[in-house]
Amino acid sequence: MAGGRPALTPLVWGYIALVLAFLYVPLIPPILFSFETGGGAGALRWYAQIWRNPILTSSMLTTLKIGIAVALAATVLGLASAMAIRELRAPRLVLLLMLLPVFIPGVSMGLATAFFFRQLGLAPSLLTIAIVQVLWALPFATLIVLTAMSSFDPVYLEAAYLSGANRRRAFLDVELPLIWPGISGAATFSLILSFNETVRTAIVQGPYNTVQTYIWSTYKQIGLSPTLYALMSLLILLTLTLVAASLLAGARRAASLRAE
Amino acid sequence: MNSALTRRQMMKAGLVTGLAATAGPLIARRAGAAGGTINFADIGVGDPDGDWSRFTGPTGYNVNLVAIGNAPSAILNVLIAGGGTASYDIINIVGGMQKPLVDNNLVEPIDIAKLPNWSKDKNIDEFLGKGMPGFQFIGYKDTIYGVPTVLQGDSFAYLPEKTGKLDSYAALFDPKWKGYVALEDNYTTAGQKTALYLKHAKLAEISNPDDMTPPEFKTVVDFLIDQKKKGQFRVIWSSFQQAVDLIVNKEVYVIDCWEPMVFVSKSKGVDAVYADPVEGYLLWAMAAYVTKNPNRSPEQTDAAYKLLDFMLGGWYGAKITTLRGYMTNTQAPEYAQQHKDEFPAEDAKKVTDITENVRRKFAKGGTWQNRWPTHVDVYESEWSRFKAS
Amino acid sequence: MRGAALRWAFLALPIAVVAVFLLAPLGLMVWMSFWERAGLLVRPAFTLAAYYDFFQGARLSVLERSLWVSLEATAISLLIAYPIAYFLAFKARPSATRAVLLLFTVPFLINYIIRTFAWTYLLGRTGPVNGALTALGITQGPVDWLLYSDVSVLVGLITSYMPFMIFPLWMSLAGIDRRLLQASWILGAPPAATFWKITLPLSLPGVFAAVVFGFVGCFGESAVPIIMGGVGYQLMGNTITSTLDVLNFPLAAAMSSIVVAAMLALLGLWYLAFDIRAFLGKIVRWRA
Repeated sequence: MAGGRPALTPLVWGYIALVLAFLYVPLIPPILFSFETGGGAGALRWYAQIWRNPILTSSMLTTLKIGIAVALAATVLGLASAMAIRELRAPRLVLLLMLLPVFIPGVSMGLATAFFFRQLGLAPSLLTIAIVQVLWALPFATLIVLTAMSSFDPVYLEAAYLSGANRRRAFLDVELPLIWPGISGAATFSLILSFNETVRTAIVQGPYNTVQTYIWSTYKQIGLSPTLYALMSLLILLTLTLVAASLLAGARRAASLRAE
Repeated sequence: MNSALTRRQMMKAGLVTGLAATAGPLIARRAGAAGGTINFADIGVGDPDGDWSRFTGPTGYNVNLVAIGNAPSAILNVLIAGGGTASYDIINIVGGMQKPLVDNNLVEPIDIAKLPNWSKDKNIDEFLGKGMPGFQFIGYKDTIYGVPTVLQGDSFAYLPEKTGKLDSYAALFDPKWKGYVALEDNYTTAGQKTALYLKHAKLAEISNPDDMTPPEFKTVVDFLIDQKKKGQFRVIWSSFQQAVDLIVNKEVYVIDCWEPMVFVSKSKGVDAVYADPVEGYLLWAMAAYVTKNPNRSPEQTDAAYKLLDFMLGGWYGAKITTLRGYMTNTQAPEYAQQHKDEFPAEDAKKVTDITENVRRKFAKGGTWQNRWPTHVDVYESEWSRFKAS
Repeated sequence: MRGAALRWAFLALPIAVVAVFLLAPLGLMVWMSFWERAGLLVRPAFTLAAYYDFFQGARLSVLERSLWVSLEATAISLLIAYPIAYFLAFKARPSATRAVLLLFTVPFLINYIIRTFAWTYLLGRTGPVNGALTALGITQGPVDWLLYSDVSVLVGLITSYMPFMIFPLWMSLAGIDRRLLQASWILGAPPAATFWKITLPLSLPGVFAAVVFGFVGCFGESAVPIIMGGVGYQLMGNTITSTLDVLNFPLAAAMSSIVVAAMLALLGLWYLAFDIRAFLGKIVRWRA
């Protein structure tokens, strides 16, 4: 049964490749534009320019800091809220509350939270940027952890209790490894959402640029420079290298397992 | 079991160090709100490619440029809700926003006595002085609130290979170019240009395209909706890059746009022309405002003024004109011509040409972009009717 | 005892965060939708003027369009994503699954403005797609509706949110106990029946999450309509921003409240139609 009709398999792979191609096609023009010559300069000049643009370098740092903070915070909070949905009395209400942030249009939520920060006397800072982004990422993180939990069989926990483990032990040693795909998925999603968030961030950005707000501002008012395309091309190269490396590592691990 | 244990310990350790590493800088630093740094919010046009050395050298102050949007909502959201008056010392945007800025207590009057370069700029005197229509870009109720950093006259662009020579806004509505026309998504530019055309062509009774009455603006929108229904427009653009690509890819032949977009297109080998319409130009200016922040120290305010004066100076003006294609101040061409080490001959020529051309436009006139017309609410809701139609 | 308190605090933390940083501002927003405007400022009052404005004006059609286009994009995305998730969960080797899932996330690390904008180059009248269509003789000349149309908005929305949907679908499918499927097979059910009666119902948690991701993502989108929509294509986010251009806070607040209400209504419908317990079932049952 698990094999299905073998003739179908290559067909499905073709379909997946097609869908992936659809997602990767928009990455080609930026790469082409990043090598734009003109003015007789070398093809890689825009790659060198990345590091000479102080706004771009400082916004890269800001984006990275916030991205990591948001990925960590949203994942931990997402795990906590998924557990709260499981263990508190009103699961639907908690789920609803956790989904609420994505129901509010971005600009309204940014504005409302910004007003609220002013009431609290919280000046715009990395912290305010991180808070609005965590709120945006939290529903996604929660749902992903929850989906992973929904297919986790509680029988394993019962077994752990029977073997004398306390709640914390049982969670850390039994459940966490099993729902790990959910946790890492939540972190990845949160990081991606943080990288791409503009509307909410722009209102509370204060004295900081993120790569995203900087790109949005130049896109709107002065035009994208080949430097930005170069940065994106580097990012594509970097992530694809990481993917290839992790696949290679996975393949080697599988091979060594088989050798044993 | 063993492997699960180590994984757990690793995760725990990783989480703790990760949190510590990220939470530390989150709380500790508030990017130079006091001393040593001017926080300068700008729409991107005022960025001299990060080179503030000629300002930082003599004054010791750094400039932290924060790129923001130019839409009124973007500016007002940041200042009213986002606490921008405390974050920024100066905001440099398209001017004419005094009414909402002053009425909401967000900016301070400008003390021009502290700006030696103010009187050296002939543009201010000739085009933006008190009692002139251009004053609305920097002043409000006889008080000056903005330092003009850029001046420009807009019309529209076209591809002569497709259309031949064009010299009237009528081209935007000419059935010959049906489906090959683009407008800007902005009632104070596209709306006002349309009004200028309708008035000039005697197609509508509009007494003042700069500040229309509700029925007048409704007439303009009705006309645009009619054109839209006929399929006249390919797209309504809303960003610089979009407009450039529409020209470069020859997606449209006639486009209501800004002149630097034509410069960029030409640099990419496309023969586009920025029109000299018989009806005149849409004239506008950028203004740098000092935000109202009661906690700002007198030293910081002085430094902010030094930056404003620097921006009225020759080097900064010439640099911005070279980079962005907008006219800045009248010291710029002289400076560029006299400093061949900093501005090669072709750049100096560019600065001189642009300055002369835009000054010619201002002398000819047309309509003055009004970012906050009396009936701005009607403009906005009518424009949304146009878009939704 | 201390452990229990700590545990309780951990569970309450996200609720507290959302309550403080979201419910309070949201309450303020709903309240402000009833305020009245005084010049450029607003003052507390109770007036339905903003709601009247919305339901009388041209913006109502924007809400309608937002709902429809989000629904369309989500449905199409689900049809694209589900077979992929199914294949990855049941037929592909684990290493291949991981590779494909990773490949689906990579494009999202690239700035989405640049990604979306690239489509306008690809789909334009003089772009490579039209070039290929014309060169192959499929069309006589460039096709206009590829860009600045409902089609291009759908392309933009689907490529932006469909990959978000694959992940939860895959997780819920991968978590299905294989013994159930084997039992069904042993009892002689044809594969189609097994799918409709067992696999699909058990994957509903993932479908729910996927639909939420897709629908609210599309609904809240403001860049795709601006970049790829035609003459004045707007979704709710765009029209709210536009009213903020003239400091019409009550109208912006009213429209936002309407959006939240519409979303809650849809969630309610979902509760009724699919019974959320299918989703929370295993989780909640375990508590008791």
